[in-house]
Amino acid sequence: MTATESTTAEAVVALSDVRKTYELGGTVTALDDVSLSLAEGSYTAVMGPSGSGKSTLLNLIGGLDTPDDGNVRVGGQNLGAASEQERATVRGTEIGFVFQTFNLMPRLTAVENVALPLVFDGWDRTERLDRAREVLDRVGLGDRYDHEPAQLSGGQRQRVAIARALAPDPSILLADEPTGNVDTDTGAGIMELLAEINNAGNSILLVSHSRRIAEHAERIVHIRDGLIEEIETVTPEVA
Amino acid sequence: MDPRETLRIAGRSIRAHRLRSTLTVIGIVIGIASVVVFASFGASVEASVIDDIGGTDANNVYLLPASTDDEGPAGGPGLGQPVFTQHDIEQLREVKGVETVLPRGIVQLSAVEHDGQTVAQRQATATTPATFDNDSVVAGRGFRQGAAELVINERAAAAFPGNLSVGDEVTLQLASGDRETLTVVGIVSGTRGGFLSSFGDVQSRYYLPTEPYYRTTTESPTLGVDQKAYPQVTVTTAPTAVQSARAEIEAYAAESDATRLLPAGFEVVVQTSGDVVEEIQDVIDRITRFVTGIAVIALVVGAIGIANITLVSVTERTKEIGIMKAVGATNRDTMQLFLTEAVLLGGIGAVVGVPLGLLVGFGAAVYAEVSFTLPINWIVFSVAMGVTTGVVAGLYPAWRASKVDPIEALRYE
Ligand SMILES: Nc1ncnc2c1ncn2[C@@H]1O[C@H](COP(=O)(O)OP(=O)(O)OP(=O)(O)O)[C@@H](O)[C@H]1O
Ligand SMILES: [Mg+2]
Repeated sequence: MTATESTTAEAVVALSDVRKTYELGGTVTALDDVSLSLAEGSYTAVMGPSGSGKSTLLNLIGGLDTPDDGNVRVGGQNLGAASEQERATVRGTEIGFVFQTFNLMPRLTAVENVALPLVFDGWDRTERLDRAREVLDRVGLGDRYDHEPAQLSGGQRQRVAIARALAPDPSILLADEPTGNVDTDTGAGIMELLAEINNAGNSILLVSHSRRIAEHAERIVHIRDGLIEEIETVTPEVA
Repeated sequence: MDPRETLRIAGRSIRAHRLRSTLTVIGIVIGIASVVVFASFGASVEASVIDDIGGTDANNVYLLPASTDDEGPAGGPGLGQPVFTQHDIEQLREVKGVETVLPRGIVQLSAVEHDGQTVAQRQATATTPATFDNDSVVAGRGFRQGAAELVINERAAAAFPGNLSVGDEVTLQLASGDRETLTVVGIVSGTRGGFLSSFGDVQSRYYLPTEPYYRTTTESPTLGVDQKAYPQVTVTTAPTAVQSARAEIEAYAAESDATRLLPAGFEVVVQTSGDVVEEIQDVIDRITRFVTGIAVIALVVGAIGIANITLVSVTERTKEIGIMKAVGATNRDTMQLFLTEAVLLGGIGAVVGVPLGLLVGFGAAVYAEVSFTLPINWIVFSVAMGVTTGVVAGLYPAWRASKVDPIEALRYE
């Protein structure tokens, strides 16, 4: 193991020498020997050009995909060696996904959408609906419990998605371009919400093209062609 | 995952596509209803036939000529021949457990006249007064041997305008050209006595005393003298002695005049109502199974409908599958969800199809004038079929759903 970064005890996510390739006519190396550690409560952004491997990185950490080589540890569990069922459990309890296109269930209300991860985690119905309302209150949608996604604005949908990601109290929030489908003002609101969530102690990994968005994080990981180019520490703006 | 939540999600998805779910369910309803209709109608017919035959004539033993060759023609020259001689009848009376022996002869007619009206009638049955038990006589009484008396069934009474009633005089035109005038002394229900004659009530029947109207004779091989001879004999036994009497009757039948008189290839068969019931039951069972089997084809078509719609549902909801997997659904959860959807469609089909089938089956039973019988085992079978159909039809689509790659699915628009 040639970890370029030591895995600290409080690391919620630790990747070491992770490689991911796709066979498609030729071999596409989406990630090449990537090692990265995310401390508990940290806020990290990933930047890089299109096709550089940002989404691939998120999918591996989120247990949606498995590495060809190397270790992906989330909350102490090695996802590379985990069974499909174990990865599903990690996705449902350790990870909170926020997508660019919201990805809400169209026929479920806001509360039901937020409660969905808890359904698969075997929560009792009243408990999970209570929890969903609590989280919706936290993202400022206390008055939209029973709205379906089609009855909500883009910004509101993304807030529901963030609430859903927070519902199981995960180890880390993975957000892939969370502001990509909303206008600038709404995006600012979303970023403010993520900052609040981070301040409350949640770890966040954010993918963005935009430096302005990425600067909300404490660190920016620059990747290009599947390789980590640089890990930049963001100096807090002096107001 | 929580089965109630599974049901709720599956139900919601079915309700989201009301029309297409309804059409799919109709397919299953038709399949299950057809199975129930044919099964219940078959069971009803079977039950009433058995009731008709088994109920009244449980102590009867029938002797009749039959082909020795099972594959042979059902009719043939041996069947109507007068082979049971008076000697046979007297010998049968001696068998232990036998209460009465009823010879049955055919008197050929051409027509029957009453009060200037003529009705065509091919034959009358010559028998003995013991044929008429008290239950069967609805008016008057049985005839006496040697008297110019006649018993008819209700159907025959209704054949004349204004109906025949007890006390009326009737003139029979015999096929021989003779004319005989008799008095109607009794009216019976159904068609009395004789092999299988109690099933149905469709034919006009005239019953005459063998004395003096039955004149067919044959030489008894045993006694060497001419005697009256009959084509059919019904023996009534004591209720507890049916089987023992039957065995003795069979033993006698082998050496009877009838056996000796029958042409080669024929023998005297001895049957009880039980045999007949069993045979009929067997035939109706086979027909029911065959027709119900055809109805099962409708169910298979319905199952294909479910498979089709569930597959469409999986394709349409690929993205939703991806979302569910991203928030923690296992492959098994996903499979369960779609399987539940298919089983729900099949189950709704069964819930609607079974009562519908029973209703139609009841209608058919009323129309066919048989009493309706609830085929409980077939109902259980149909509901199980509906659910099984759902499972089988849903299995492949659900498996497909479980194999959906969440990354691909989330990219899917
Ligand atoms: N399923 C796949 N099959 C083949 N190649 C793939 C697959 N998924 C990703 N790739 C390739 O892997 C590389 C990294 O893709 P990835 O989606 O991680 O990029 P990205 O950094 O998220 O880009 P963007 O900013 O456009 O979202 C790309 O070259 C892409 O073509
Ligand atoms: Mg991407």
